[in-house]
Amino acid sequence: MRFLHLLAAEDPSQTHHWLLPETAEIIYGGIAALIIFAALYKFALPAAKKALAARTERIQKELDNAANTRSAAEAEASNIRKAVGDIASERARLLAEADQQAATVLSEGRARIAAEVADLEAKAEADIAASRSRSSDELRAQIAQIASVAAQNAVSAALNDGTKQELIEGFISSVGGAR
Amino acid sequence: MSEARIEAYARALADIAAAEGNLDAVEKELYVVARAIESNESLRATLTDESIPASRRQAVVEALVGSASNTTAQLIGLVIGSGRGRDLPAIIDKVVKRASNAQNKEVAEVRSAVALSADQQSRLAAALERATGKSVNLKVVVDPSVLGGLIATVGDEVIDGSVRTRLDQVKSRL
Repeated sequence: MRFLHLLAAEDPSQTHHWLLPETAEIIYGGIAALIIFAALYKFALPAAKKALAARTERIQKELDNAANTRSAAEAEASNIRKAVGDIASERARLLAEADQQAATVLSEGRARIAAEVADLEAKAEADIAASRSRSSDELRAQIAQIASVAAQNAVSAALNDGTKQELIEGFISSVGGAR
Repeated sequence: MSEARIEAYARALADIAAAEGNLDAVEKELYVVARAIESNESLRATLTDESIPASRRQAVVEALVGSASNTTAQLIGLVIGSGRGRDLPAIIDKVVKRASNAQNKEVAEVRSAVALSADQQSRLAAALERATGKSVNLKVVVDPSVLGGLIATVGDEVIDGSVRTRLDQVKSRL
């Protein structure tokens, strides 16, 4: 406030206010300013316009370039995304194929093992049956042999002279009575 | 030896026995000798062994024949001396068959575990003649392997009533 009071204080020794210029100075200054503005308008403005237009054009060009670059980048990004997508789908396909192959191998392996186990079981059962049959046949043969020997011994023991004569007489009778 | 040669030897022996007038007795004795050779491996080997001198084999034959007729011993010696000892049983069988055929009889070979009495042989011959319808010349062979009963072979016909065959059948069934 004090500073404003100082600025507004009038000096009585001055012909005009200390803050305002002289009238002539205002006029000359105004004319000079007009001349300068006219010169500026005449010479500087076209150059400025031209420079502005060039700058605008350059900026536009840069904007176009940026847009093109952006489009290219977006296209590249799209391609990359597509490629990434393709890679992902290929990866998924490969994984699915690997899973399928693994499942097939596992299934075939299980089937082969099951078949081998079945074959082994069948062979074991056949061996057991053959062994059982062989043992049974051997036992039967031994029993037959023992029975045969026992029968022969029993018959031989029973065949005394009397029995032999009876057999001979029986033979003669049966042959003689055949007709 | 071929069948023809066996037949020739048999015919010669039968003719000699017939010429001597004792074919019936000779064929009976020859039959006994043939069965003895068949059933005795060592005797058969001795009579067919060419490395043994003929005189030694002749001595064996004479010992075997024993009380048989001189004709029988000479006929056997003839065959042995000719190196046909191996075929002697076959030759003798032909002689017996020729002798039987000369009497219109069929040879009936009967195998028995024990010897048959004259009565049994007579009744058996009669029974076989009734059964086969042929007149038979009965030849009894004592064969212990028969065990009991009889096995009669008349020509191609076999009548088997032996215990051995019954035992074999039982064994086969077992």
